[in-house]
Amino acid sequence: MRNRITKWKNRFRDLPDNLRIAGLSSWRDKERGLAVFAGVFLASLVITLVLVYGVGLSQAFLEESLEQTVFDSKIEFKNAPTQGSTGWTNDTTILQNMCDEVTLKEEFSDCTVILGKSGIHSELSFSNDAAFYASPLFLKQIESSDNGRNWNQEDLWEYEYTTGPPVVNIRAISFLGPEAFDGEISERLSKNIIYEMGEWKTHEEVHAERGIYIPLDIASTTGAEVGDKIDHITFTYTSERSLPGGMSDEDCAGEIIEGEEFRLLYCQIPLTLDNVTILGIYEPWPQGNPVLAANPIYTTWTILDENQQTTLIDNDHVYLGVTVDRTLLPTSSISAAEDWLEIVANDMQKQTYDDGNVKIFYVDIISSSILWLEFFLGFVQVFDYILMIPVVILSLYLLIYGLELSLEQRRREISIHRAIGATAEKLKGMVLFELFIISTVAWLGGYLLALVAVPFVLSSVGFMEFEALEIDVNPSLSFGATFFTILTTLGLALIFGNSRTKSFLEMEIDEGVRKTKEAGKPRVWLHWTMFVIGAIGAFDTWQELNTTGEGIITNWFVGGLINIFGPFLLWIGGALLLSRLGAAGPSIMLKFFRKTPLLSDVKRGLESTGTSESTGRLATIMLLTLSIVTLAAVQGYTGSLVDERTADLEIGSDIKVYAVEPMTSIEVEQAITNISSKDITVNAVNVPIIPLISEDGTDVNAYVLMNESTEILKWFPQAIPGDDISEAMIAYKGGGFTAGSDIAFTLDLWGSGRYGDSEDILLKESNKDSGNLTFTWEETIVTFTGEGNEDQDPIMALILYTGLMEKNWSNLDLSNQDLSNRNFTHTDFSNTNLSGADLTNSDLSESILFNVDLRGANLAGANLNNAIFVIQPQNIIDANFTNANLSGAFEYTGIVNLSSAELNGVTCPDGTIQNNDNNCSAGFSAIPPPLLAPIFIPASIEFEVIPHETSIRYIGVHEFIPGVATNDMNSYLVINEQAYRDLRGNQFVDSETATTWIVEIDGLNNDELQVLNLLIAADSRFEGANDWETSHENVERNGGIIFGTQGLFTLQYLVASIAAIASSFVFLSLVLNQKKKELAILQAIGASPNQIIRLVLFEILSIVFVSMILGVILGIGLALSFNGLFNIFGFLFQLFSGTGETSVITRVLQWPWWVIIKVTLGVLSVVVLALIMTTRRALRADLAVVLKGE
Amino acid sequence: MSEELFEHTTGQGKEDEDSKKQIEAAQFSEKIYDKKIDSNAILQAIALYHVYQSTAEDGNVVALRGLNVKVKNGEAVAIVGPSGSGKSTLLKCLGVLMKPSAGGVILNGIPTTRKTGLELVKMRQETVSFIFQEGNLLPDLSALDNVAQPLRHRDVSPYEARDKARELLIELGLEERLHGLPETLSGGEQQRVAIARALITNPKLILADEPTGALDPITSREVLDLFRKLHKERGVAFLIVTHSDEVAAFCDRSLELRDGRFVAEHGTNLDIDDLEGSRELIVDELGMVSFPPDVLMKIGGSGRYEIEKADNGEITLVAAEKNKSLIKGKKKLADKCPACKHKYKDKSQLCPECGSSRPMIKSN
Repeated sequence: MRNRITKWKNRFRDLPDNLRIAGLSSWRDKERGLAVFAGVFLASLVITLVLVYGVGLSQAFLEESLEQTVFDSKIEFKNAPTQGSTGWTNDTTILQNMCDEVTLKEEFSDCTVILGKSGIHSELSFSNDAAFYASPLFLKQIESSDNGRNWNQEDLWEYEYTTGPPVVNIRAISFLGPEAFDGEISERLSKNIIYEMGEWKTHEEVHAERGIYIPLDIASTTGAEVGDKIDHITFTYTSERSLPGGMSDEDCAGEIIEGEEFRLLYCQIPLTLDNVTILGIYEPWPQGNPVLAANPIYTTWTILDENQQTTLIDNDHVYLGVTVDRTLLPTSSISAAEDWLEIVANDMQKQTYDDGNVKIFYVDIISSSILWLEFFLGFVQVFDYILMIPVVILSLYLLIYGLELSLEQRRREISIHRAIGATAEKLKGMVLFELFIISTVAWLGGYLLALVAVPFVLSSVGFMEFEALEIDVNPSLSFGATFFTILTTLGLALIFGNSRTKSFLEMEIDEGVRKTKEAGKPRVWLHWTMFVIGAIGAFDTWQELNTTGEGIITNWFVGGLINIFGPFLLWIGGALLLSRLGAAGPSIMLKFFRKTPLLSDVKRGLESTGTSESTGRLATIMLLTLSIVTLAAVQGYTGSLVDERTADLEIGSDIKVYAVEPMTSIEVEQAITNISSKDITVNAVNVPIIPLISEDGTDVNAYVLMNESTEILKWFPQAIPGDDISEAMIAYKGGGFTAGSDIAFTLDLWGSGRYGDSEDILLKESNKDSGNLTFTWEETIVTFTGEGNEDQDPIMALILYTGLMEKNWSNLDLSNQDLSNRNFTHTDFSNTNLSGADLTNSDLSESILFNVDLRGANLAGANLNNAIFVIQPQNIIDANFTNANLSGAFEYTGIVNLSSAELNGVTCPDGTIQNNDNNCSAGFSAIPPPLLAPIFIPASIEFEVIPHETSIRYIGVHEFIPGVATNDMNSYLVINEQAYRDLRGNQFVDSETATTWIVEIDGLNNDELQVLNLLIAADSRFEGANDWETSHENVERNGGIIFGTQGLFTLQYLVASIAAIASSFVFLSLVLNQKKKELAILQAIGASPNQIIRLVLFEILSIVFVSMILGVILGIGLALSFNGLFNIFGFLFQLFSGTGETSVITRVLQWPWWVIIKVTLGVLSVVVLALIMTTRRALRADLAVVLKGE
Repeated sequence: MSEELFEHTTGQGKEDEDSKKQIEAAQFSEKIYDKKIDSNAILQAIALYHVYQSTAEDGNVVALRGLNVKVKNGEAVAIVGPSGSGKSTLLKCLGVLMKPSAGGVILNGIPTTRKTGLELVKMRQETVSFIFQEGNLLPDLSALDNVAQPLRHRDVSPYEARDKARELLIELGLEERLHGLPETLSGGEQQRVAIARALITNPKLILADEPTGALDPITSREVLDLFRKLHKERGVAFLIVTHSDEVAAFCDRSLELRDGRFVAEHGTNLDIDDLEGSRELIVDELGMVSFPPDVLMKIGGSGRYEIEKADNGEITLVAAEKNKSLIKGKKKLADKCPACKHKYKDKSQLCPECGSSRPMIKSN
């Protein structure tokens, strides 16, 4: 015991001196120190980075989710304010005092009294019935005397709540307190006010002007603008709720409505607000939490009269909206944030106010809205960790190698210490202490650098591209995680150093007595097995990329396993095997240079150089680093490109707009030019569809590539046949057409993959596979005959009727478009293609459907009251009328029956409800509807078909048209504008209207483009718009952080590059140090310095060079096999997120040679520099001293 | 306890399969050596054998073949011999830096065979110091730190150690180079630092390996003067491996080492050039005698000799049956190991079972 104390006392006493000695020797003997330093530093950097990246990601997610909530928590009364219950107040002064008191707490930054969604009074959970009762204040009606504002739309206030229990899907109104117009809440709310569309004013102004703020979608639909005066706003509050059957009209002073869930009944009593003004339009938030009404109309409750205020409070429509001080919220991880929030919540639950008269219930909004993140994030992190495994292995390898070399270098020093009386224990302590000092510094360096680097990594928007983060991320590691990094770097270094020192000291003392340990034979068979399995995986991917998508591995399970483990097996096995080849670099290079005069005199010297262990290691390191550099560059670059192309594919050009009414391109261009305040050039193009019949009678559909598409659309090689976009465009313009692979099969064209012809080439005119095909477009003309009297023509009647229509949607191709929930009353659909269109719940009452194609159209729930049909019988096949209203629907020809359509629950034209007995067998109404009746003339109708023909040349297989991303592309043709004009005539084409336009905009930067997008979306002429920039951001966020993982690849690339350069320098010096003696001997036997430099230069350079080339090759294989891993994770992600989207873009690998060559050149030049420096130093050394040696 | 014993053989207490046998063997030889301990001797080596195992073609190298050495307190002994004769191995064994394959070293009257590695280090710290050909200073440490290092290893406080080192270095005339790094010091200075390092532990014996080998004559004379002074004033015993006649002359006696065997011994203060003239042959405890090659040549080379006369320290050898070949008839390798009856299946020269060499027998 005493011994031990003395020992520790001595240790403590000697500490400063030991520290000094350790510092001295590690500083003076830089090379070996550097080797260890490099290893530990890299390991620490990488491991910390991966961990911190996870934290940063979690922080970014947390911040993102916080961005979406204005109020962090909600305070409501513990009990519902009903008659007889206590613990609440309807005195707004007391409520405001409560708010003040809450704000005084350090955890909270702002608070306001809100009249809005009613209380839940308990924890929010899936099984909590109270959540279903909690209804917002529903908007009922807005009346405005402003002209041109369409506040009277029937479904204007319908709003789908996508989060939480769908109580009643109606838009809400929220009355904020005065406190919401200054401080933190105001800041958060004002952030979403759209640029140039009003501002978040002070409470005095809002109160004085009686201001309201409306969401963009409402503004867009109604055409409302800032400054609009509104005469009356009617909204309803829920006065009573009940289970089905528990409430009758007598019980309710207002109207009873049914909720979505459980069919709960709500008694809704209206309140009215007069003379308000729109002060601003805000961009809707993504719905974050069901506790508050999502995207309501905001105003202040001070514009309600006192009676109204009290009424709302009495009916439980009051709560305090609270913001927490987010600077106090631990953002290091989601769970840390949750813990903190839980403490705050627990504390708040105990609070009472107004001397205990008011009891509250605290609802934490943040923690419930971030709940799902943890699961999602875990998945992301697993992927990221897997991705970083190679670099971690690399750094650990460097660490171990560095340690070994450093010990090797100490051989002489250690024997001196032994001779002067050092015990083995002392020696080990000394070595480990030095190791400890170096490793600690290296660990700290790597650790700190990682902390600094992560925000940059997170801010990457592509491979080697960065853009400032909009959110503030300053990740730090928890104590546990920090300890983990210490354990895996410092700890590992010490454990490994300990065992190595031990065996090293053993060897020293026993030298001569004990047989020298035989070097373990490398398990070559294992390396080969790993390599072969990995190579199969890489080959499989290569085959998938280069053929129709079928790899050599057909079993999905085996394929999946190989996809996951293949990359790593390939990497490690490959590196170990190829490093032998790399170490044999001199002999390989000698084969090429044998004859040159450059080496004639040193040839013999080179032939004798064997591969020592150290050169073998050098080769391994070069292989490992360069393969990672290549992998990261290829996959990073590919990922960035895939991200961009995903946006290209989705938007097609800069912006894609959806017009409310069909517009011509000139109208669209003018409208957008007007909307933007900037000086911009606008070019719009649409992609019409035309149904064709081929020579053998096959029905085919064709997209039409208008001539402007060449310039406007963002093309890329995957879309078109061949690789050269301009060539393909010229071929299209010159009368070419392409086919999707399915339709190529049907039409018996080359390129369907059927005979293995999967090559992606553009067919030249001379090619035998390219031939002219004739397609027919059948124009249907409706002719009315007989029965009309002479001065009155049935056609005139229809023309008159069309004149009564308010909207013109004629001659359009709206097939497969989403037209649900629209108002199409009094709309002219003459000659429009509605096949496959989604018209659910749309209102088509009194519209005219003249020669329309309704095949496969979804009209479920649509209102077709008194609509007029003039259609061919086959054009209604498979139309879905489920629950639609067809009462009074009139069919001109009398030849169409409804039996071929889906009719469940339909209101039949004769007014009866469809059932199995009648099945609307009476068919369409025979009586003309009221609007037509006065001008109706009976006539017999014939559909005359006029065929138009055009002959076009087949030029190959397309995959898609940018902006028209669809899985149907395979069964479509793409024809050119000229063919389209031949078929439909110039006049029709020139005046063509459409609702979807792809627009190219010149003169705007990215941010301005996003602003323009919002402005267009807010404009009443447009239904909505998508811009490239936002779409790209989404891809980056959803696809980028997770699958592109460009940041991580950039990081991997940088780390591996630095590792390549640094380790080549460090390890080269060590290798050369070992060669010192050899060089001296050569010099002693008469080699000139020049010869020696050439000898060494050639030898080492050929090792490095050959290894690097092999490394790049291995990296290419690795990149290929990593593609399989990406596919697996892509698949898993789709499973988990339920998006179900299949990516159209093939992850075709890009080879950024220049990026790889840069690193290769860097490494080579460093190697040359190090070589020359060290060799010269070795040459200058005293020969005698070197040769005498140890 | 047993773990400490292992430490002797493995240096780190590493367990070994045949460690038990080794302990037994060690205990046995200890008993033998106990009888032979000379209380006057600072260092005794009894029947030292050392074999370097090698995987090279020519097989194992026998470096020492049963050497007996005795260095008395305060005595200076030189070991001379051509390179490769086993001098350095002998020095390592004597300094218990290395464990000989067989035989024992008795340091300061204590047999080292059974000592643990730790105990050996302690013994060495108190008794022996080393001086090498070229200083062998720690390259990263200053002269002062180099000299203080042995004390550090003995858990002396660093300040004390440095004070002592400074004193010593000043005494050796190096006060201006206290903080110089080894590479900035001249050869003589380096050697003096090395000597200071050797002296700082107050050793009773200094083992020196070619201490003047890397020095010019003048410096080496200075160093030698230093040795002489230490020898006289402090009564330090020396065992010096050397080529130099000056160094040999400094010593009380010289031992001539050839092929791992002492072949001759010389009296005090002899010139190394006189070795031939005045040499004495060494007959060891086992009765073995080795002739220096020149002597062997003179008497007619290897072969059988008959002892004609042997008494009172005088012996006369006569070549026996000079013209008769000793080898009669053809011979072949024995089929069986005579020791353990192992049947050889190949042409190996050593028995794989017991390690005895394979004899030749008459072939039919």
